[in-house]
Amino acid sequence: MTLLSENIALQSFEEAQEYYHSRGWTDGFPIVPPTPEAVQACLEWAYMRPDELIGVEPVRERPITAEKLAINAVMAGCLPMHFPVIVTAWNAMLKEEFLLHGATASTGGCAIFVVLNGPIRATIGCNNQFNALGSSDRATSVIGRAIRLGLINILNVSPGSIDRSTLGHPGKISYCIAEDEEGTTLGSLAEARGFPSEVSTVTVFAASSPRQIMNEWTKNPEEILDTYASEMKSNMRSYSIWSGNYAIVIPKQHRDHLQSAGWGRKEISHYLFEKARISRSEWADVGKSSVIKGKGQQEYSALSSPEQLLIVAAGGPAGGFGAIIPPWLGNKSQAVTLPIGVCVDCET
Amino acid sequence: MAINVLNPSFEKDAAPFDHAPRLNTLSGKKVGFISNGKEGTLGFFTHLDNLLRSDFKVADVIWLQKANYSAPAEAAIIEQAQAWDLAITGLGD
Repeated sequence: MTLLSENIALQSFEEAQEYYHSRGWTDGFPIVPPTPEAVQACLEWAYMRPDELIGVEPVRERPITAEKLAINAVMAGCLPMHFPVIVTAWNAMLKEEFLLHGATASTGGCAIFVVLNGPIRATIGCNNQFNALGSSDRATSVIGRAIRLGLINILNVSPGSIDRSTLGHPGKISYCIAEDEEGTTLGSLAEARGFPSEVSTVTVFAASSPRQIMNEWTKNPEEILDTYASEMKSNMRSYSIWSGNYAIVIPKQHRDHLQSAGWGRKEISHYLFEKARISRSEWADVGKSSVIKGKGQQEYSALSSPEQLLIVAAGGPAGGFGAIIPPWLGNKSQAVTLPIGVCVDCET
Repeated sequence: MAINVLNPSFEKDAAPFDHAPRLNTLSGKKVGFISNGKEGTLGFFTHLDNLLRSDFKVADVIWLQKANYSAPAEAAIIEQAQAWDLAITGLGD
């Protein structure tokens, strides 16, 4: 296998750190030096050629090749078995409806929220329970980081360059979770989006930071979901009123109450579709009177349809917590789910 | 211990392009604005419109707005811009 990238001879691991940092090729953390052997191992795992075209970023017409993704994956700490996930995530991000350039350049500071479903989660050792939205496990941490490093290095999505985020958020370091499919009877996000349970998938979503909620004082499904709806409405008032994909992450305690009451994804999404609404006049409560512009009675829904809600089962077993993850900016970017198109455990 | 590592960045130069021919004067020219539609653009382009008409005597100023401020301009806008002498875009937030 002939690799095409510039091959750089350095004297030590330490020199590699400074060399990469000095060129703006990192996220500020130390990187794993991407040796040709490690990069080649990623490509071989996924049966990909170095020059295999993953896609073309449509605004800047910049080609994304497998080799460049593999280099950034190694730098992030990925093992070869993580690489197919990263390729699939990029395939999804390059779909027109994802609007990758806008999502990565915007002052709104969104990050790429990634949800893994299917058998791949066990293969690569994901933990979908404790600290699910934090550094819960090696696989999701390095996969999320690899996506960010790829954006930085291949598309120049560096702060102040293409990335014009006013604030950004910590999800821009890594923002990947695996769904706790075994711990729920709700079915998976991937199934809700049309994929069989035996297929591994990657969902990408241009997302703001998580907003955590707490309600430990009821088992009533409506009351539990009213808390989630309240946070969605808060986002609509204080951030963006426009409807779009919202993700909600429901840990086990809330899921148990919902499931015991016979609620499934359909009931949850329809309930939040109806409840997460505000009128434009509510902007007056949060200092935005000047943009009501005589349309105070106009009602807005967080979701254009119940199907826009991305329900993710994840989180530790105890605690009446949950999270909503709002869209970067309404429907400008659509969440995309794709199956992982290469076999990660086939015999050669 | 010496190591060999690979460049993670996009190594090819951006596709070359030529700048549009510069105008010798704005007087009598048709100027187009392609606005991203953000809140701040209204004041900016209104002021610029006035300035172009009063101080630079342009013949006309046409305003167009993208449907999605985070996406490239639609083909219909680009087609309409072919008839302009000057386009101003990419400004405002």
